[in-house]
Amino acid sequence: MSRLNVILVIAVIIGAVIISSFGATTMQRLQAGFLSVISPFLKTGSAVQRQIGAMGQGLKTLDQLERENEQLKVENKELRTSNQIFRDLEAENSKLRSALEYRKRSIFKLLPARVISRDASAWWSTVRINRGFEDGVEPDQPVLTDVGLVGKTTTVAKNESIVLLISDESCKVASKVEGSNERGILSGRRVGEGEMPSEMQLNFLSKKANLQPGQKVFTEGVTKGTSTGVFPSGIFLGTVKSFQARPLDGQAIVEAAVDLSTVEDVFVVVGAK
Amino acid sequence: MKLAVGWFSLALAIFVTLVIQEFIPPLRSLHGARVFLVPMLFCYGALAMPFWAMLLMAIYAGLLTDLAHLNVVNGHVEIALGWSIVLFVFFGLFAHGLQPAFIRGRWWVHVLLAAVCTCVFLALQFVMICFRRQGVFFNETVAWRILAPGFIAAILAPLVHLTVVKAAPYVHGPMRLRPFRRIRQ
Repeated sequence: MSRLNVILVIAVIIGAVIISSFGATTMQRLQAGFLSVISPFLKTGSAVQRQIGAMGQGLKTLDQLERENEQLKVENKELRTSNQIFRDLEAENSKLRSALEYRKRSIFKLLPARVISRDASAWWSTVRINRGFEDGVEPDQPVLTDVGLVGKTTTVAKNESIVLLISDESCKVASKVEGSNERGILSGRRVGEGEMPSEMQLNFLSKKANLQPGQKVFTEGVTKGTSTGVFPSGIFLGTVKSFQARPLDGQAIVEAAVDLSTVEDVFVVVGAK
Repeated sequence: MKLAVGWFSLALAIFVTLVIQEFIPPLRSLHGARVFLVPMLFCYGALAMPFWAMLLMAIYAGLLTDLAHLNVVNGHVEIALGWSIVLFVFFGLFAHGLQPAFIRGRWWVHVLLAAVCTCVFLALQFVMICFRRQGVFFNETVAWRILAPGFIAAILAPLVHLTVVKAAPYVHGPMRLRPFRRIRQ
């Protein structure tokens, strides 16, 4: 390798070290800029993916209808296809109505958002949503559905944000268990631990907690001095699957309320009503 | 001219790959492994391009990869921006050592390099996260998530070579991208 090449390599490595010394805020700002650049591609990709998904779903139910057709031998093919289209519309209508109802009765000011992509990394559980600081989203705001908590925003770009899911090991939520005085910290499990990716761990419970499967877990809503924590109190997190007493504390395995691998429509809590 | 076309085509391919990867769900049958093709594309560039162009590609690919995967929790960055640049520079140096074999027509060098670099990248990423969190651990799922993307990258690597081979005759200009030169001969 020539001397010039050695100098170039050293220069690049020094440059990389300088970049790595940037503060978290600067890095987030750079990431927000990058998100803004890829945002149109992600949104287009998301729309295409939805269309393909809907088409696949339609074909799946069409198969079911064909089976019905074999049994009943009554309706013709054209009529069944039309029925299917109406059924899809009805299901979508019902889903949207349910979301709208939740938004109306919620005590929080909710901003509807849509998941446009999921993190391609093997080690983190994050999703990207189609709302950013132009819509009033800020970092560390809770994200939920009508079923329960999804996660919190981290990096916020102009029209897009990254949401750290509660199934990620680094997302920690102060929690309480229904029907008991037990309080603990809920977080995602480490890679490869547990049977399902939707399983989380609730740590720092008392050894004698003896929680039963099916007990519900909610956010605790911790306050730090005059300010409240990220998550308001009383948001449903999931249900206890099992409990084990460890030498120093108790640990419960909690099944997430929301199916985080398929969640599409979410709300960002942008404030109180 | 040809080098510029090659460099920008590869840069575009890396960008497009990063976007497409976002829409590929985790492979449940492979313990939730993800498709990760950036190191494979970078390695092709490193094998085919001159040294300085490889360094530029390392900066570009590293920065984009870090920006796509940056995870900030409670004001703390798990893996700092810039570490991928260093890693890609090392991959590039390694690839340049193998460049003579690649130029002689041993296309499978890229296949091996793609597999090794993808696995090393993911393994180091995992180790860094472990140190940030609760210490290093290892299980079957971790092994799958490191090895399976490497295997997928190795399977797809010949397609990149084939694409370049097919595209080369349509790009005019001086023969500076080495595999292109070899194809013309």
